[in-house]
Amino acid sequence: MKETHLKILQYITGIGLFFFVGAHLLISHLSSGEPTTWASVSGRAASSGWLAFYIFLLIFGIYHGLQGLRTIILEFSIPNPAVKVLNWVLVALGLAVFGYAVYIPINAFII
Amino acid sequence: MVGKAAGSEKGHLPNRLGVKGWVWAGHYTIERYLYTLHRLTGLGLLLYIILHLIMNGFRLGGEETWTNTIDFLTNPFGSVVEYLVMAAFIFHALNGSRLILQHLGYTLGKPKPPVYPYVDSMRRRRPIVWVMLAMIVALAIYVLVEFVT
Amino acid sequence: MQDLSFRVQRYLPGQDKKPYIQEFTVPFRQGMTVLDSLIYIKENIDNTLSFRSSCRMGICGSCGMLINNFPMLACHTPVEELGTDRVEVRSLPNFPIIRDLVASLDPLFEKHRSIKPYVMSSDMKEAEEPIAEFLQSRDELESYVQFAYCVKCGLCMAACPTVATDALFLGPQPLGQAYRYCTDHRDTGAKERFCEADSPHGVWLCHLAGACSEACPKGVDPALAIQLLKRAMVFDSLRLRKKRTPASVAQPPAESKSKIDVPEFTVK
Repeated sequence: MKETHLKILQYITGIGLFFFVGAHLLISHLSSGEPTTWASVSGRAASSGWLAFYIFLLIFGIYHGLQGLRTIILEFSIPNPAVKVLNWVLVALGLAVFGYAVYIPINAFII
Repeated sequence: MVGKAAGSEKGHLPNRLGVKGWVWAGHYTIERYLYTLHRLTGLGLLLYIILHLIMNGFRLGGEETWTNTIDFLTNPFGSVVEYLVMAAFIFHALNGSRLILQHLGYTLGKPKPPVYPYVDSMRRRRPIVWVMLAMIVALAIYVLVEFVT
Repeated sequence: MQDLSFRVQRYLPGQDKKPYIQEFTVPFRQGMTVLDSLIYIKENIDNTLSFRSSCRMGICGSCGMLINNFPMLACHTPVEELGTDRVEVRSLPNFPIIRDLVASLDPLFEKHRSIKPYVMSSDMKEAEEPIAEFLQSRDELESYVQFAYCVKCGLCMAACPTVATDALFLGPQPLGQAYRYCTDHRDTGAKERFCEADSPHGVWLCHLAGACSEACPKGVDPALAIQLLKRAMVFDSLRLRKKRTPASVAQPPAESKSKIDVPEFTVK
């Protein structure tokens, strides 16, 4: 039932992203308080709550996006042996993107 | 699992629609084209996430690099892209919520013996799609107003 | 209505590299269907035109074609309902073309067989030496009977956007039938079918475009069956699926005296 488990996680991350990305858009893009200035960004970077928020946002977003991409790629008649290769490539890509992206808020938090 | 598609080995002419079949295959109802838009917005948002994360990386360069990056992105074209991303998110999120419910068989009703003229469950529950589209349009307009003002 | 202009796909293997359109003029007759028009063309204009048909009453599923850009049964489509006097007929998309309007439905039948489309009973003795019918309530019957009306015409596969690119995707018909058998209370083979549907090219490549249910000429609603199959698989994977007792066999009727005196048969 592996594909079913992957899909259940897709649904869970989808629901999570509804709230995480919604909050992120409201605060970082629609807020009138100039959220993209260095001062605002540094202010959020110093907060452990925001750090946890960004880490969850990253995990949920990267999983949901890459699983969606996997679904689209599979629809090009990818045979079973190639599906295993595709899975590993996407896992590697996901870990690489997560590693790069999570370093930024952690670095800002520590500094 | 079924292996290579049968028929093609016998020398019959392949006749698959291909990617064109995702976009336009004939006179179908709205749900088919909502599926196409969901796919487009998903790919668009994935591309945006990658670019957004690269942009965030400029924060490591310090205050000056960050401020220069924000100044570079603050222009009419950048605002249009930002709005499109938000509209894409609104559509993808609300349509995705509908899909999660319907993929699990909820809001589609129960099976019942078909009586002519046949009305399938998607058509019976079409009002849910209209309500969802109305919410998407309303939110998109609200966000546009917030953006402009 | 005036004479109809029929634009029909032609393709002869070994002679044509790709299909082309040939135009015919068919005199309109009240109540005629697209199949009637094709038979007219074959009998009066061009007897080399090839198409598949059998029952001509919408029950065998043989005459599935793409009519004015929508998959329909030719026998089930009155020309007047198309609302135009220009009719374009092509073979069903997503199936290989054998000749003219005849598509090979082998991919459909192969995938249908893969989901084990028969009742699998755990009571092997009853399955091999049946003594009586299985008991099934009205509610139990209604949970699957809609999906049992499938005539395997392939219109849903022609309509499905995933089948358009993925030759390995099971497709709406096999997945719908997988649910039909899983939910039948006489059947105990759900786990085997779940394994087949859980593959990378299984049920999770369905994204609820709804085109299959729209195209289905028998009101089977394969989209509903597939979403119910997804629910069953999700609940099963989370160990939340309700266990159900398989259908029991009807008890033999108790001895009863006939109300009317029936004479004994004289011929032994």
